[in-house]
Amino acid sequence: MTIESIAQTLATCSREGRSVSVSGGETLRGMGFPTQRSGLVLSTLDLNQIVEDAPEDLTIAVQSGVRLRTLANQLAKHGTHVPLDAPRANDATVGGTLAAGWLGPRRHLYGRPRDFVIGSIAVLGDGSIAHAGGMVVKNVSGYDMSRLYVGSFGTLAVLVQINLKTIAAPAVARMFLLRLPERTRERAVAHLAGLAVTPAAAFWIDGHHGAIDGDEGDAGRMAIFVESSENAIQRATRDVRAAMGRAGVPETRIVDAGARESFERIVDAYTAELGERSITYRMTAFPDDVLPRADACKALAQRFALRNDTIVDAMNGDLIFRVSDLDAHAFGAKIEAFDDALHEAEPRAMVIAGNHPHRALLNVWGEPPGGIERMRELKRRFDPRGILNPGRFLADI
Amino acid sequence: MLHERLVEALGAEAVLTAPEDLRAYAFDAYTEGRFPSAVVLPASTREVSAVVKIARDCGEPIVARGAGTGLCGGAVPVDGGVVISFARMNRVLAYEPTRRRACVQPGLINLDLSRKSAHDGLFFAPDPSSQRISTIGGNIATNAGGPHCLSYGTTVNHVLALEIVGDDGEVFTTDIDRPGYDLTAAFVGSEGTLGLVTAAWVRLMRLPESVRVWLATFGDVDEASDAVSAIIAAGIVPTALEMMDKVATQAVEAASHAGYPTDAAAVLLIEHAGLEDDMNLYESQIARICREHGASSWRAARSQAERDALWAGRKGAAGAMGRLAPNYYVQDVCVRRSVLPQALHAVERIAREHRLITANVFHAGDGNLHPLICYDKRDMKQVAAVIETGNEILRMAVDLGGTVSGEHGIGFEKRTAMTAIYTTDDLAAMARVRDVFDPRSALNPEKIFPAGVRCPEVAPAG
Repeated sequence: MTIESIAQTLATCSREGRSVSVSGGETLRGMGFPTQRSGLVLSTLDLNQIVEDAPEDLTIAVQSGVRLRTLANQLAKHGTHVPLDAPRANDATVGGTLAAGWLGPRRHLYGRPRDFVIGSIAVLGDGSIAHAGGMVVKNVSGYDMSRLYVGSFGTLAVLVQINLKTIAAPAVARMFLLRLPERTRERAVAHLAGLAVTPAAAFWIDGHHGAIDGDEGDAGRMAIFVESSENAIQRATRDVRAAMGRAGVPETRIVDAGARESFERIVDAYTAELGERSITYRMTAFPDDVLPRADACKALAQRFALRNDTIVDAMNGDLIFRVSDLDAHAFGAKIEAFDDALHEAEPRAMVIAGNHPHRALLNVWGEPPGGIERMRELKRRFDPRGILNPGRFLADI
Repeated sequence: MLHERLVEALGAEAVLTAPEDLRAYAFDAYTEGRFPSAVVLPASTREVSAVVKIARDCGEPIVARGAGTGLCGGAVPVDGGVVISFARMNRVLAYEPTRRRACVQPGLINLDLSRKSAHDGLFFAPDPSSQRISTIGGNIATNAGGPHCLSYGTTVNHVLALEIVGDDGEVFTTDIDRPGYDLTAAFVGSEGTLGLVTAAWVRLMRLPESVRVWLATFGDVDEASDAVSAIIAAGIVPTALEMMDKVATQAVEAASHAGYPTDAAAVLLIEHAGLEDDMNLYESQIARICREHGASSWRAARSQAERDALWAGRKGAAGAMGRLAPNYYVQDVCVRRSVLPQALHAVERIAREHRLITANVFHAGDGNLHPLICYDKRDMKQVAAVIETGNEILRMAVDLGGTVSGEHGIGFEKRTAMTAIYTTDDLAAMARVRDVFDPRSALNPEKIFPAGVRCPEVAPAG
């Protein structure tokens, strides 16, 4: 499959008014409304070439169907990385991760996925091919079209190539696992901000037994992921132990071998589904208010007799909240009412995972963002016949 | 009519129409445009909205203006119209140090935010050389960079949400944490052609625990640029990696006595910030690469005062060029970091062929060149040679796979150069965005787009 053939396909579909559903690794299919499969399915998985690897420039250009793992392995040869932090890196594609606007836990330290994008090639809804940016790391030549495609869920254009800047991969990684005794959680999280070696990620986890390492204490468990130089890791270890000691957490278990894998397991848990018996929400809060909001969500789930698993990204303030039931039928009977109640408390809650047939009935995007009329107009300009991923995005786009 | 309505909406003291006042707003740091019909100084979002509606009724274009320090004619009213100066909208509306963010009005001076937040151990990272006078609104309009964006990223990496007055005068917001199209990214760097930013939530960063600044000198420009490429290729990204050639250091030293050696062909100003624990390792790695590439000396700034002096010299470099010639033109191109040596060679050759003196003082670590071409504007032959030199440098950057603007923007100056890097379809994609936000081409007309670029006709849906 070439860029030209995609362009021809889209031009034809646009003329004929035939819808096209664009897919990558299908790992984030639980975000947004379910894809309508009535028209043509355009998979990017054949677009799997590394177009240009330029380690001397700290840049790389890849086709959109390249898997995150493939990208990571290629960059690891030069000791670099691009921390996109999406779940299921073996399956997820670079294009899909960006199109879904995925936001991972290390962004507070390294920046958002969009901030690594320095250029792109996209095929718009009418089949025209648009290049943007390039292979330089600074560029203010016209509008930042690449970032506009990031997070657009393939509704403006099909990303076919993405140019990224890369950064040096940290030499050493260490995971700290903590069992939190009663009344230590708030202090433990509050102390994170003061650490001299900023953790790459820090989580408070409730539930997700078996899927994520670490033992639960009375106040749940924490995982602190640090990656840096050998010197910095030594210092981080002293600091983390001292800070957590002050917070009343006596024990800190250290994982070195497999620290990165341990981190990846937590990221994978963000979108882990329990058959058709779960829905996972994401809420964006702040590190200083995310814990009470998590508690409120838990109380609400309990009110509906729903099981729940929580991941709090304590560095960014993200709340990843999964509700489930052992019985799919019982789950289906409760989830709509829960969804309504949750949005009363958290109007911006977004669904990010869940395979339940009722998902399409939920408020999967949360409260609409500002500028919605302009977004609709953008859609009309880029995809005049509305063929790209119809029904998937928010506000009827 | 226009004048009366503006006065009615904003009060007489906020509306300028006297020729001597209008003249001051016909310029930016690049060029002079037409006199605007009026200059307004609104004090609130509501007043901006009112001005936009009045200008629209009267068929007048609108040009937003921060401090007017832009180098590409972006703030110049090419078609006249109403200039909206944000000078009075310069307040910090919300300041949340624990959440490391602030909401500011667009007229706030860049450095004022870092000064305010320093008490809490925070700073606003974008640091264009103009940061003592340029405004955050202007920084947003141009996606401004600066020496430290090498590791911290340009302005777009630091803007969280925007309040915008659209071409119809209506107010809407954008937020990078919300789903939907990333309108924030579309607005940052759009040079006032999509709407008027009336407030911005920006990210504040934690001040580093340790900062070190080093100077490496080289007997040869090639060696210095090879060293820069080698540092990047080794995966080392310092917080700043700046280069100055001999012409530049001599001018800077004469102006500021910052402590730069004046006999070296090239100087690298290198800063790294982070953990104290890592500093010795960084220093030894970078120093080793510099020595391997022929550095004749290596020196560390010993104190905060010494570091500040070196930075003050670097940031005042453009001003110091006044010692070399009555006028200078600064070009801004960006190339891949691995071809920096070729690019610098080409700049030197092009200037020599036109018998012009250039000073190079630039963000080497980003591959972002800023040749300052010295001339005397009273000499028309020299003026013609400068224009040709600038164009040849642009073509050279494009031929090397680079771009026509690294951080200053396109503005009025570089509109035609856009066709050198983009196809008709590429530009049409941008025009589609423009057409949504400014269908009448009333917002900063004649900027960014070369003449004749249009949004494709949109067929009716169905």
